[in-house]
Order: sequence, then structure tokens, then C-alpha cells
Amino acid sequence: MSKRPFLIPFLVPAILVAVIFLAALAEILQYSLREFIPGSLDVGGFTLDNFARIYRPVYFKAVINTFVLSLATAFFTLILSYPIAFALVRTKVEWVRTLLILLSITPLFTGEIVRTYAWMLVLGTNGFLNTMLLDIGVISEPVTFMYTRAGVVIALVQFAMPVMIIILATAISHINTDYEKAAANLGARPWTVITRVVIPLTMPGIISGFIVIFAWTMSAFATPQLIGGGKVLMISNAIYLQGFSALNFPFAATLSVIALISAFASLALMKLIANRLERQTAIH
Amino acid sequence: MKRIWGVLGAMTLALASTAASAQEKLVVSIWGGNWKEGAGIIAKEFTKRTGMEVEFITGGTLDRLAKAKVAKDSPESDVVFTTSQVGFLYQADGLFEKLDKAKIANYAGLVQAADRGDYEVGVYSYVYSPVYRADLMPKDFKLTSWNDLWSPEVGGKLSLPDFDPSHIIIASAVLAGGTAANWEVGIPLLEKLKPGVKAFYQSDATSQDLLKTGETPVQVMLSINAYHLIQNGVPVTIAIPKEGAVVGIDVLGINAGTKKLDKAQEFINVALDPEIQRQLCNFHKCSPMHKDAKIDAELAKLPGIFTTPEQWSTQAIITPDEIRAKLLPTWKAWFTENMMQ
Repeated sequence: MSKRPFLIPFLVPAILVAVIFLAALAEILQYSLREFIPGSLDVGGFTLDNFARIYRPVYFKAVINTFVLSLATAFFTLILSYPIAFALVRTKVEWVRTLLILLSITPLFTGEIVRTYAWMLVLGTNGFLNTMLLDIGVISEPVTFMYTRAGVVIALVQFAMPVMIIILATAISHINTDYEKAAANLGARPWTVITRVVIPLTMPGIISGFIVIFAWTMSAFATPQLIGGGKVLMISNAIYLQGFSALNFPFAATLSVIALISAFASLALMKLIANRLERQTAIH
Repeated sequence: MKRIWGVLGAMTLALASTAASAQEKLVVSIWGGNWKEGAGIIAKEFTKRTGMEVEFITGGTLDRLAKAKVAKDSPESDVVFTTSQVGFLYQADGLFEKLDKAKIANYAGLVQAADRGDYEVGVYSYVYSPVYRADLMPKDFKLTSWNDLWSPEVGGKLSLPDFDPSHIIIASAVLAGGTAANWEVGIPLLEKLKPGVKAFYQSDATSQDLLKTGETPVQVMLSINAYHLIQNGVPVTIAIPKEGAVVGIDVLGINAGTKKLDKAQEFINVALDPEIQRQLCNFHKCSPMHKDAKIDAELAKLPGIFTTPEQWSTQAIITPDEIRAKLLPTWKAWFTENMMQ
């Protein structure tokens, strides 16, 4: 212990935060089992009714929506971010790197609300995208992007890309380029080098990026709220509606517990798949 | 070490002086934006009369209620601005002081709608009513009845609030021959309306945005927000249906446990002063609660502005706060489960 004199003082804040976090979780769990009394902020006795209500289509759909949209967001973010991260790491032209950093990372420093509002202007019936497509004759009628799952995913992907690019760029920068040169010398075409060498070597980054974005999107609130316009409910939106519109804190707590369980279950499943994938793509 | 104690001492002094200055001010809990700006009219006059400064703390309707519930005996504010049905929740949970109406001199001159019981008082009213962008609707389109929201012209162009569906639920009940209390009679109509709803909005900002961008050219909207858009050049038409518009009333209540009870009552008295009422209503484009408030003639002509007993009886749908407060969770749950999926 004498070798690490600061261990206990440094651990105290972490323990304190953990205790407060666990106490809050226990309070949510306790609330989820209480009866709601309309017209009052007080709660009634213990009941399991709140959990039975989860099976109503709207809430069940919100859980499914959350899973599907998180999966889609993580997937498209990965597909779009990988080439950018690759170019960012490998380019030898300084201004190209600066431009890529500016375009891909800077959005991280604007808030979620600002970016979502910008997307509302782009995706609206009279927004930038529809106006442009109409002007160049690609469409004859405005396409509905707002209040659809596609619209929500587009905005979420753009929101998540900077984080994914940072994770992937770190992974790509750690590859020893000698492997690629060796593959090329042995006759591999550039595409083969990418798919058989680069991607497998960056698999840990791909997996952690995918999981981070998936977990992050599971708790998305403002983007589905504004772009989804109440037509695309994710679980956090359903919690907000119950807690802060209906003042039904017990049911909002029940939905929170379900959200937490879903997130843990999804991540565990994903980790299982990721481990298998990592083993399969490992270069021996 | 001495330096650390010096810094700690300075921080303690700074905190103590902040606490002392808060004690000398009347703290008013209110929404942000133009609501706070409007309440500034009351604050200015209150300070002039009493010498006490007013400090505003802002937040949404329900998160302020939740905070008051947590703070309970040590309230963060002395006076609360909220909506009348939410005011009922404050009083039901013992978060409001009983008003000493004898000490509120202007109470005697109020219209009946301002009387919201012993714990809160109406300061001004507005309506939730159908509004539309005539420039984005077919020529000759008009809204004269709530029934018109079900017309084919409106289908796919309508937006409704998701945080409080009471207006469309009450209107549907009225159309079906009922009232808020037996709202279930309006369910078939609501179900018929569902395919025509393009979006649900969550805040005043989103509501105005949907109309401004033309995303949903028809909306059940707060009249004050509609007038705000008109002032900013958006061509919005406010319709007062023949069945009446659903009235909302913003109220003032005093936090239970306040140490500035007399000053809090004086703040309410100032808010109900006919001249302050005139200024407030000119600012918000709302209806005054004091009979002697002389609002501008141009304002009095606008739809949703009620200044005569006849207007109150023929154009206003008023629901008792208790019914609305107790039924809102049921309405909210029904609306989420049946209209929003």
C-alpha cells in the first residue's frame, strides 16, 4: 500500500459516483414497481402492472425501433466513416488531411440540437434536399424524409460519424504498412489488400466503433424527437412522454428499466458476435 | 497550504454573498423565452412599488413541477407561473400556499375564468385552436368548425401537440356531443383523424417551425405562438371554430414554505393590476383577466381575444382544472398508445 499512497484518495470519488449511480438505479427500479395515481405526484403501492403494459404495441414497437435504428445507424456510420478514416490516416497531402479533419471532426463540436435543426432544414418537404432534387429533375414530387425512420437514421449517422472516424482512424494508424506491401508484392490487387489485410487488421477498431455507436444510439433522444416528430418513437422518447407529459413516473421508470435491460442484452449479444468475428478474421 | 485556505475562504464568502442576494430578491419560477420577457413587465412594476428585485428561474412546465416536488419544504422559488391544470397538481401535492385574497386588492375585479380556486389565480388566457397557412392550402379553404380538421383538404397536413393532447380530445368530445368528463364519446372521431396527422410537436419552438416551414400547414396551436408567427411575417390564419376554442389559462401561485409571503402576494396583485394586464396582453396577444384592463382596440378585434362576457360564453371551451389534471395522464396514455403508433 505504501507504494501507492494516493490509491485510496483517488478511488474515493469513483466509489462515491458509483454509489450515487447505484442508488439512482435502485430508486428507478423501486419506482417501476409502484402504482401510478392520476392527478398526484405521489405513487401508490407495489404492483407489476407497469411491466404488463410494456406489451402494448406502441411501447413494444419503441423497443424494436430502438434496436433496429441503432443497428442501422451503427452499420451505415461504419460504411461511410471507414473510407474517410482511411484517407485521413494515409493521405500524404497536408491540406487534404486538414480538410478531412475539418469536415469530419468539427461537427462534433456543435450540439445535437443544432445539428438536428440543420437536418430538419435539409430534409423538410421544402428543404434543401427536396428542392435540389426537384430542380435537377430527379423527382417530380417532394419525397417525405421527415417523420420517417430513414430520416432519423440519416441524421443519427451524421451525428455519429465523427466519433466513428476517430475510433477507426486510431485503428488504421496502428497497422504496420509492411503487411500491405508484402501482400502487394505477393500479387494481391489493391482491393484484395484492403479486404484481406487492412480490414481484418482493423477489426478490433471496427468492432469497438460499431458497439460504441450502437450503444450511443440506443439512448438517442433529441434527433428521433425532432426528426421523428412523434411518428418514430424510440424508447427514450417514450420515457419522456410518460414522465414529463403524463407525469406517470412509475411507468416512465418501468420503460427505463426495460431500456437498460435491452441495452445490456443487445451489447452482450453483440460482444458474442464480435468475438466470433474477430476469431474468424484474425490473420495467423 | 495558506493559499488553499485563502481560496476556500474566498469561495465561502462568494457563496454566502450569493445566498444573501437571493434572500433579498423575490424568486419567480417561469418558462423561458418570451414568457419570461412578458413577466418582466410585472417584475418592473413590482420592483418600482416594493423596492425588491425579482429573479427569474426558468424551465419547462413539468420539470419545474418535478423540482418543486423534490424541494417541497425548501422551495427554490417564491412564486410560480404555470398553467391552471398543472397548478392543480401543485396544490394537490401541497406545494402552493393558500392565497389571502383580501390582500390581493385587484382580485375583486377579475372575470370569472380567473377564479381557479383558493391556491392559484388566472393572469391571462389564450386559446388552443386550429390555425393554418392559407397560402399553402387550396383556394377558398376555410376552417369554421373543429369538424373541418377531418376534411380531405387537411388530410396529411395536420400537426398536433404530443405533450398535451387535451385540446383535440376535448374538441372531439364536444363534436360528439360530450364534454371533457366523458371524453370517450369522441374516440371514434379521434381514430378517424389519425391517418390525417402528419406530425406531433413537442414544444412551442417545434410547433412554430412546422408552420413556418410549411411542413404541416394546419395545426392545433397555441394562439400566442400563432400571433408570434404573424408578427414575424408568417401568413398564419387563426380560426375560432363555431363550437369554441379550447381555453388555456396561465396562473400564479405562491410556493408553500416561502419566507416572502407578503411580497409574493403583492407580486400577484401587481400582475392583476388593470394597467399591467393591458401591457401583458399587448405583449403576448392574450385575453386579460381583469375587467377594467383596457387593451388596444386592434388587439381586442383579434380571434381568441376575449373581452366581453358574451365572447367568454360563446367562443370559449373551459374545462375545470381538476378534471383536466386528473384526466391528462389517461388522455396522454390513450393518445400515445392509439394515435402515435
